Amino acid sequence: MFFHVFKNRIKCLFRDKQALFFTILFPIILGTLFNLAFQNLNDIDAFSKIKIGMVKNQGYQSDLTFQQVLTSVSGEEKDALFQVTYTSEQNAKQLLKEEKIQGYIFIQDGIQLVIKEDGLYQNIIQSFLNDYKQMQYTIASILKENPSVLESVMKDLGNRKNYLKDVPPGNAAPNWVLNYFYCLIAMTCLYGSFWGLREITSIQANFSPQAARLNMAPVHKLKVFGASMTAAVAIQFFEVLALLAYLIFILKIDFGNQLGYILLTCITSTVTGVTMGAMVSSLIKKGGENFKSGILVSISMLMSFLSGLMIADLKYVIQDKVPILSYLNPANLITDSFYSLYFYSTHDRFFTNILILWGFNILFSLATYFVIKGQKYASL
Amino acid sequence: MVIKVENLVKRYGDLIALDHLNMEIKEGEIFGLLGPNGSGKSTAINCILSLLKFDKGTITIFGKEMKPEAYDIKRNIGIILQNVAVFDELTVYENIDYFCGLYISDKKERQILVEEAIAFVGLHDFRKFYPKKLSGGLLRRLNIACGIAHKPKLIILDEPTVAVDPQSRNNILEGIQKLNKQGATIVYTSHYMEEVEQICTNIMIIDNGKAIATGTKEELVGMINTGEKITVELLQPNVEVLKEIRKLPNISSAELNDHLLVVKSSKGKNNLLFLMDHLKNNNISFGKVYSEPPTLNDVFLEITGKKLRD
Repeated sequence: MFFHVFKNRIKCLFRDKQALFFTILFPIILGTLFNLAFQNLNDIDAFSKIKIGMVKNQGYQSDLTFQQVLTSVSGEEKDALFQVTYTSEQNAKQLLKEEKIQGYIFIQDGIQLVIKEDGLYQNIIQSFLNDYKQMQYTIASILKENPSVLESVMKDLGNRKNYLKDVPPGNAAPNWVLNYFYCLIAMTCLYGSFWGLREITSIQANFSPQAARLNMAPVHKLKVFGASMTAAVAIQFFEVLALLAYLIFILKIDFGNQLGYILLTCITSTVTGVTMGAMVSSLIKKGGENFKSGILVSISMLMSFLSGLMIADLKYVIQDKVPILSYLNPANLITDSFYSLYFYSTHDRFFTNILILWGFNILFSLATYFVIKGQKYASL
Repeated sequence: MVIKVENLVKRYGDLIALDHLNMEIKEGEIFGLLGPNGSGKSTAINCILSLLKFDKGTITIFGKEMKPEAYDIKRNIGIILQNVAVFDELTVYENIDYFCGLYISDKKERQILVEEAIAFVGLHDFRKFYPKKLSGGLLRRLNIACGIAHKPKLIILDEPTVAVDPQSRNNILEGIQKLNKQGATIVYTSHYMEEVEQICTNIMIIDNGKAIATGTKEELVGMINTGEKITVELLQPNVEVLKEIRKLPNISSAELNDHLLVVKSSKGKNNLLFLMDHLKNNNISFGKVYSEPPTLNDVFLEITGKKLRD
């Protein structure tokens, strides 16, 4: 009996082209558009070396200290600040004119900076030079007034202490664009609500004639419901896997290497979507299937919006200002599960999210059960 | 007794949908539940099937109390609802197989039953069609096949011919009679008195949730004073004729519509003969003559003061 209902429900759901469009094609199209739109965004944020010119005049040749400092902050290393072109003053002017460098330094009656226009890079060069000048002045003052402490001061200056510590949470490099894809998967999982809605419609005699016929069959309604919901979860899980495969293998989105946990998130979230749809559908007595679908789309979109589907920062604003809302929004819990898998080496936060999601699953299922358990209706 | 309903009361707020309804349906009957739209036919059926909650009364089917969890009773019931109850995403064969599978778990046995149901409703050429590709009549046939494939002893049909073309309607009615001959007890609801007259062996007329008359067609007609309706084609119509005709025994009304003289009689014998004699004796020449016995509509009209399809 269970398999008979399950098999036929799978057929019914799989042949529903309209619902299939929304639950799988729409997310794939949206994912493709995201990929096109966000492809270069991470690269934009990457810091590139500032191109500067250094006039190799007599002043430069005689200032060995500055030569050393400049060499230490430039070069081929990845974290170098400057890419320096050593040249004549005339050539440096030409390079600046052609905007091949952001500015050039020459040493004549002190260290001078020539720039063409103000900007971020020019400010960084100026700050670097100011810093150098200040240190040079400090050392000169100590030499003049108290040369005995020079050695300890030099030691301190060489050992700059950074009071901020970088703690790498995991192996992954920060990638805020990923949040959009997490939201997309969350939205797809929540679209399982459409299947939940359909299963309720097909089992409640006051919602459809098919359900009235089903209610007259010599089978326990909740057994049929169990088979129907399993079919709905199976279809949606398959679709989420298809989306995940598309994102990973076609669009080459890197979701980290914790496949088991990713699948656990997907199945948990799919159950959340399907049970949420079933609950909403069973609670709303009036209005047809289209009306209920409209409500479910609105709820799913609102949840996805609040979890950062349209504006990535909104997720963090809500976490900061109204943290309780983060825990009450299944879409946010789903995205956060992926996020914590990708960025953290521990699974504490991940399992907290998964547990809360299962809490929602149980809550939605119980609410649905109490509505549909009655086998007689007040009106048909 | 297949179905016994006693003092069934169903209220929707202040509206009394079923008012102490009593009903007895014997094995082998085609029991017709006749009434206008909104009279309570479908409500009665849904209460009998334990789909609807009711306020008062008892319902027994096959001698046992009907409850939602009475699976042994449900196993022997087939229902064909007013609205077509099939899945658009399943083919004709799959739909019948799905609903039959809720009753019959053995796959081989089910396969035979599904094939028989397809043959019974004549959908063999459409077995791979999806419901959306079927005409209204074929869709109704599929609806019936889904309800009867498991060979139930009791078949309940709630207005199965609504919005069906005359040819398909006849097919459906013939099919119902065939099912009855094969041994099934039939409960048939309709607001078409012609259908009920044609196939039902026992009829209950229902209005405002109350049973107003029950019996065979002959018994029901015998309950009223209305007699036959005689229509005579007059070759030379004359209004003066009417006065004399109205004086004849058992004549309740006489009207002249163009060439047609329409005479309604009350219950009594030889009304047609008296009228013919009167016309001959008064040298009134006439052409065709029609005589129609009273219908269930006359029964309904006389008891409630309104027509069945008002």
